[in-house]
Amino acid sequence: MRQLRAFWIRMRGLIGARGNEDDFAAELESHIAMHTEDGIRAGLSPEEARRQALIALGGAEQTRQAYRERRTLPWLETLWQDIRFGLRILCKNPGYTAVAVLTLALGIGANTAVFTVAQAALLRSWPAKEPGRLGKLVATTPQGEEINFSYADYQDLAEQTKSLEGILVYNRRVKMLRVGAESKAVLDDVVSPNYFSVLGITAQAGRFFTDASQLSSEPGVVISDSLWHRVFNADPSLVGKQIWLTNRAFTVLAVAPPGFRGLERMVPTDLWIPVTTEYPSEELADRKNREFEVLGRLRSGATTEEARAELDSLGQNLAQSYPAADKARSVSLISERERLREAVTPTLILMTAVGLVLLICCANVAGLVLARSDARRREVAMRLALGAGRLRLMRQLLTESLLLASVGSALGLLLAVGLLRLQPALMLPAQVEVGLDLHLDASVLMFTAAVAILSVLVFGLAPAIQLSKTSLVSTLKGEETGVVKGLRRWTLRNALVLGEIALSVVLLTASGLVVRSLLFSRTLPLGFDRQRQLIYFDLLPGIAGYNGQRSAAFFAQVEEKTAALAGVRHAALARRVLLSDSGGGLEQRVSIPGVELPQGQLSIPIKFDTVDGNYFRTVGTRLIAGRDFNSGDIPLGARVTVVSQTMAERFWPGQEVLGRQIVADGTACQIVGVVEDAKVNSIHETPEPYLYFPFAQQPSEDGTIIVEADGSSKALTARILSELQRVDRNVPVSVRTVDYLMQQAFWEDQIAAGFVGVLGALGIFLGAIGLYGVVAFTVSRRSREIGIRMALGAERKDVLRLVLRQGLTLAAIGAGIGLVASFAAMRLLSTMLYGVKPTDPLAFVGSAVLVILVALAASWLPARRAASIDPMQALRTE
Amino acid sequence: MGEKTGVWQGTLALMALRTLETMGPQHGYGLARRIEQTSGDRLQLNYGTLYPALLKLEQEGFIRSSWGVSENNRRAKFYELTKAGQRQVMKAATEWEQTTAILARFLAPAEEA
Repeated sequence: MRQLRAFWIRMRGLIGARGNEDDFAAELESHIAMHTEDGIRAGLSPEEARRQALIALGGAEQTRQAYRERRTLPWLETLWQDIRFGLRILCKNPGYTAVAVLTLALGIGANTAVFTVAQAALLRSWPAKEPGRLGKLVATTPQGEEINFSYADYQDLAEQTKSLEGILVYNRRVKMLRVGAESKAVLDDVVSPNYFSVLGITAQAGRFFTDASQLSSEPGVVISDSLWHRVFNADPSLVGKQIWLTNRAFTVLAVAPPGFRGLERMVPTDLWIPVTTEYPSEELADRKNREFEVLGRLRSGATTEEARAELDSLGQNLAQSYPAADKARSVSLISERERLREAVTPTLILMTAVGLVLLICCANVAGLVLARSDARRREVAMRLALGAGRLRLMRQLLTESLLLASVGSALGLLLAVGLLRLQPALMLPAQVEVGLDLHLDASVLMFTAAVAILSVLVFGLAPAIQLSKTSLVSTLKGEETGVVKGLRRWTLRNALVLGEIALSVVLLTASGLVVRSLLFSRTLPLGFDRQRQLIYFDLLPGIAGYNGQRSAAFFAQVEEKTAALAGVRHAALARRVLLSDSGGGLEQRVSIPGVELPQGQLSIPIKFDTVDGNYFRTVGTRLIAGRDFNSGDIPLGARVTVVSQTMAERFWPGQEVLGRQIVADGTACQIVGVVEDAKVNSIHETPEPYLYFPFAQQPSEDGTIIVEADGSSKALTARILSELQRVDRNVPVSVRTVDYLMQQAFWEDQIAAGFVGVLGALGIFLGAIGLYGVVAFTVSRRSREIGIRMALGAERKDVLRLVLRQGLTLAAIGAGIGLVASFAAMRLLSTMLYGVKPTDPLAFVGSAVLVILVALAASWLPARRAASIDPMQALRTE
Repeated sequence: MGEKTGVWQGTLALMALRTLETMGPQHGYGLARRIEQTSGDRLQLNYGTLYPALLKLEQEGFIRSSWGVSENNRRAKFYELTKAGQRQVMKAATEWEQTTAILARFLAPAEEA
């Protein structure tokens, strides 16, 4: 306590130092006066008395110094001095400071962002109280490890376990939540009623389901804080009200606490529904129905080994009692510590990769610091001559580096926040929200601070040591800065710069190829017109009880009403939408009379869609021959089909196709038309045979009304939705647009182009700074030599050429290495490239030229400085 | 034992506190002289080192200071013990006695042997 009090007073002593200094001067003066008086009284002369007094005191100035050091905190004072001096130095060279700070910010920002991702994806513990005691149950089967259990097995385990104090199940599902006229897909977890109590989570409003009794009466649901804000505007009176989920009313029991997103890291949960509400009891009793993941909480004091041994024997009991379902299945547990241990390796790989980027950044900044420190040699020598200690000097230089790193980290943090904000834009667009919970927390900030300090040691220590070793006499005499031997030798720094340039060539070549591939992809014919304002209304009448012909009638009515609205050019009906999120596709077994199928098969699977007569017209698929479906293609009429161009060419090459027969799923159909190929699942798929059937002849309980709108579609969408409501408000409907589908379809190409492009930009930026550092360093070392050359008649352009040659030689060698490396590396890209060869000369030449141009710019600055050296001054002062 | 010894680390503070306790408020010069006298002039005291020590004691709250007038009508800064200072003298004196007593036990038999 006493020390703390003293420390505080000394801290305060830093402020208002002047007044206290006067005070002590007066005290000291009175001390000396009294001592002198005593001396005079003892018979000394006044001069001698004063001399004696000063000797006894041990020197007035020394005393004052000792007093000052005690009064304040000297190290803090000098630190403050260093900081102020460092800031002045950095402000004096804004260009250097900006480049160094930016470089560090890039490295530190990238590291912080990647660490945040690694933390959210790998390291973060379960979102629960005392997560260390939670463990995931796994089953080992002859087929490998499984994490899914049947509910009946879970119940047996829960009843019999003694080492686990609680054990819960959860299973991810999708529901349609009715919001106004529309239905939105939301993710729900079907959970055991003890879910929240085992996790140790309390509701922010309402009460979680606890015992089974209250569950049976009326379906209840817990909603996430995010959904509560997103959809219900944080309505405080929501608890107790009803919401509609896939056509069933649920009472909102509670709102989960903010930040709780369920147990899946990537896919946040919106709703929690008890198992008994979701599943009929016979389904829960079926031991082969393994749908649930299981999490257990260790009793306090119980060890993982105990729990594992117990679960093993319980698992053996299950296998013996229910051999039909559980034979050869053994049960075990993965503790939180084991999970973390497994997460360490991928984290380390990730961090090593991004750590290398930081290392390159630090090496570049070290290059800049060195280039400058050489120019500061005289200043340092002067300060040494004036009595500065070498350690003190090193501390001053390190403080400067620390300042750079601090500003760099602050900027890096901002950069990281920006990068993390990009997550939603980078994720594959989907109807449910997915993504990691990324935010900067204390551990991330600590990580950033550690990275900053580490980087200071990497980039600041070597120059500081070197500079503080400056030989005083020779520097002041002007030696050592003259011609330096062995300038052209292969230093580590030169090699590093070569590596950076080569790498940036590789990355730029890759980005060139990927961008060209993306541009090519955009011109690919999709089999429909994506310039049209298409809006898709996905309807699920099956959920509202429509089936078969009733469903067909429902769709016909809806389509008719929609088509009649102003602003609607065309309306059509299709069961599946091209390039839709679901992927895969419906297939029918098709046999073709008179055509031999590959490998002598009787029938082959062919993908199909069911559409109505307006479909091709609405989406813009070209009819090549024959006719559309029409109102004559009714359930009782002749079965007809339209085939894709590839289908026609593959099975009847060069022959008339119209009028021929195929047998699809046992029903004979006549081909009435041929249409162009369309992309079904991916823009890069190779065309396959494809079939269209009239919706009326094969009605389904799900389908999509496709609308081609006149213009901007927001208001029209609302009008159509309310029209759909009027037909039957119990049919869930959700809306997609053609833009959304295109975003999804091009997502992979765009992400690849963006990612490789950013890496390329980063690479060339770092390469340029590295090169600048090396060239600037040489220029400052050779300024005396350059002065002599100019004095002997060299002209500005000769000097420019001299310096540029060095930079360009390095760049050319680096680019050469990079081109060779690219040639080898681009083969790896070939599976990602469309419409462009991995040896595309434009990408290769383009990246090499770009790198050389940037190298020219990076060497130009120091070259210009070299050319403006005044020979007289260089010779006189250096 | 004619030679003067230097002041051991940490003991100066105790000497100053103890002197203030017996003498009452004192200025720095008077305190320095008094410590020298009490030691029987066997202590080599650099007067200058007293002031940082006094400042430390003041920062720790054991003494307080105020300007006053000396016996020779000279302005001087006077130091005086606080309550906490009085307790500290007791505490430090006891500790010191214990230390010397223990050391004495080590040293006494060694001289006899």
